[in-house]
Amino acid sequence: MRATLDRIAAIVVKEFRHLGRDPRALLAVVITPVLQLLLFSYAISFDVDHVPTIVVDLDQSTQSREYLRQYQASSFFTVVAEAKTMDAVDSAFDLNQARLAIVIQAGFGQQLASGGQGEVAVLVDGSEPTSARISQAYSVAANQLYNQQLTQQWADAQGLDLSSLGMLEPRVRTWYNPERRSSDFLIPGLMVVIIAIVTVQQTAVTLVRERDLGTEEQLEVSPLRKGELMVAKLLPWTAIAFIDVAVIIGLGRWLFGVPLRGDLGALALGSALFVFAALGLGLLVSAVAPTLDTANILALLIAFLPSFLLSGLAFALDQIPVVLQWLSYAFPARYMVTISRIVFLKGGGFADVWPELVALAAYAAAMIAISTLLYGRRAAR
Amino acid sequence: MSTPISPPLAVRATGLGRSFGQTVAVADLDLAVPAGAVFGLLGPDGAGKSTLIRMLATVLTPDTGEAEIFGNSVTTDRAAAKPLIGYMSQRFSLYPDLTIAENLEFFARVRGVGRTERAQRSKELLESMGLAEFSGRQAQHLSGGMKQKLMLATTLMHSPDLLLLDEPTTGVDPVSRREFWRILAGLHHDGRTVIVATPYMDEAERCTQIAFVDRGRIQNQGTPTQIKALVPGRLFEVLAADPRAALAALRELPEVASPHLFGDVVRVLWRQPDEPESRIVPALAAAGVTDAQVRSTEMDMESAFAFLAESAAQSAEAGAV
Repeated sequence: MRATLDRIAAIVVKEFRHLGRDPRALLAVVITPVLQLLLFSYAISFDVDHVPTIVVDLDQSTQSREYLRQYQASSFFTVVAEAKTMDAVDSAFDLNQARLAIVIQAGFGQQLASGGQGEVAVLVDGSEPTSARISQAYSVAANQLYNQQLTQQWADAQGLDLSSLGMLEPRVRTWYNPERRSSDFLIPGLMVVIIAIVTVQQTAVTLVRERDLGTEEQLEVSPLRKGELMVAKLLPWTAIAFIDVAVIIGLGRWLFGVPLRGDLGALALGSALFVFAALGLGLLVSAVAPTLDTANILALLIAFLPSFLLSGLAFALDQIPVVLQWLSYAFPARYMVTISRIVFLKGGGFADVWPELVALAAYAAAMIAISTLLYGRRAAR
Repeated sequence: MSTPISPPLAVRATGLGRSFGQTVAVADLDLAVPAGAVFGLLGPDGAGKSTLIRMLATVLTPDTGEAEIFGNSVTTDRAAAKPLIGYMSQRFSLYPDLTIAENLEFFARVRGVGRTERAQRSKELLESMGLAEFSGRQAQHLSGGMKQKLMLATTLMHSPDLLLLDEPTTGVDPVSRREFWRILAGLHHDGRTVIVATPYMDEAERCTQIAFVDRGRIQNQGTPTQIKALVPGRLFEVLAADPRAALAALRELPEVASPHLFGDVVRVLWRQPDEPESRIVPALAAAGVTDAQVRSTEMDMESAFAFLAESAAQSAEAGAV
């Protein structure tokens, strides 16, 4: 047992020495996660506000101006131009000056005054589907609001008290993220992706490098066991991944104001298991990849794409095709994204995330076992 | 040193074989290396020397046969065999970014050498090899000879009884090579067993025993003197102003065997009972080399090697037909 620990310690010390000698690697594991967090958080924002809007008032009546005022007043829209013709809409869309156009047909005011239907055309630039969908929803809401105002005005004018009239008033509330800020939603997930990239990538190359250097054979003649080698290769990266986790949580809280409502212990255990699972995945790549380049590319494919696309981070898991849903179970990210969001946003603890914790533990154990086995078989050649 | 009547064997291999896909690297090979020997493995590239050494080092599993290191099987008792072995592979296989001291420290620690012993051994080894003043230098910044010495030092940290060295001096300058062999001589003196694959014939002469390996088998085995005695005929040197022209002409003479350039002279094997001068000089003159002289020389390993390689190739071809 002591001999085992001593051998593991020897490798751990050596791994840190490698890292210390290679400034690029150090940069990759410490600075990159921070950069990735900043870049992703600012670049990938699903928040839609200040939609550049062009208004075309072909009516030029009191009513039309009143109607348009609500767009000017709302922070969801920024009226960038007021035009007199439809051609202006075309060119504004083409030049990316506006994403939304509100067109009031001539006769809008008269129609309303005579109790008829006022016609407003809402044109949405669909080249960015997410913001298009949301802008559309906003303008529909704006119209409904205006309708209510009109009804109210009409009732007042008629001397009717609408409060005696039964009306349906939906009260929609968003829980866990009341302002629907996408950074709250994204950062707990991004943490998972970033850790996956750092850990899988680094461990993926570590065994291949030993093979390339020929040191694999020297280790082979020593009493070092395969399992010891695997554990010793995991430990330094576990420590580094934990530093990354701490940095990301810190940045998320203080810079982006992401709340951490749940049990930090559950998050820490989840992160530890996830790191082991991801490292196990990296070791698997390392055990089977023939060259350093293959290992790098495989690692990127396995670490980045599934954690991003199949974890629930970019797309809700129940909205992707069934086959991909099944596939998502094969990567550890989906479990960790779930844990992360439950703990961060829903204030969950062990009681809420234990199924995911169990899944991650099983995943990590299986990965390390399989890669040890495969590595052993390769070495026997 | 007095030799016991039946010296204990450091290595015993029987029927050892290993293939890579369709390529047979080692086939049905028998080997017995007495403890304390400096045992040279000679043979052309691809003869199977590296494969043999890697199987003995337990890093490669044999397909057939069995090998024992001081009585411990390399297949069923690897854990007992490994501590007895120091293995130095053909290419540089240390961490280039670690220093000399760190490489020594790491491999010794993985081998289970205790802290105080590590410090003492590495000090001794580095001093005896003239590496002490470079101990803080990264391995990647060492010269070729220093790298090889460092690798040897690494394999010696746990004081193995058997050293398996795969072409340890290939690509190393002659001075470093001589120094390397001085270290090996010291190990031999201490009673260690050394098995060394080498392409250099002068190194083969320094071994106590050599085996000529070809096509995955040991073709001949014995002391350097015995191996040289295997060659039928005597060795002669042909001197001429233009040795290349002489070589070309000598290749045309049927009674001359394995002519080859040796520095500025051509060495030939003469199997006839009479003296070659009266037949070679006129024949060369007829071919335009008029200033040829012939003199007798002692059989060397290079010629023996060339002869053994040629005859092995011929018998293999004959066998194939």
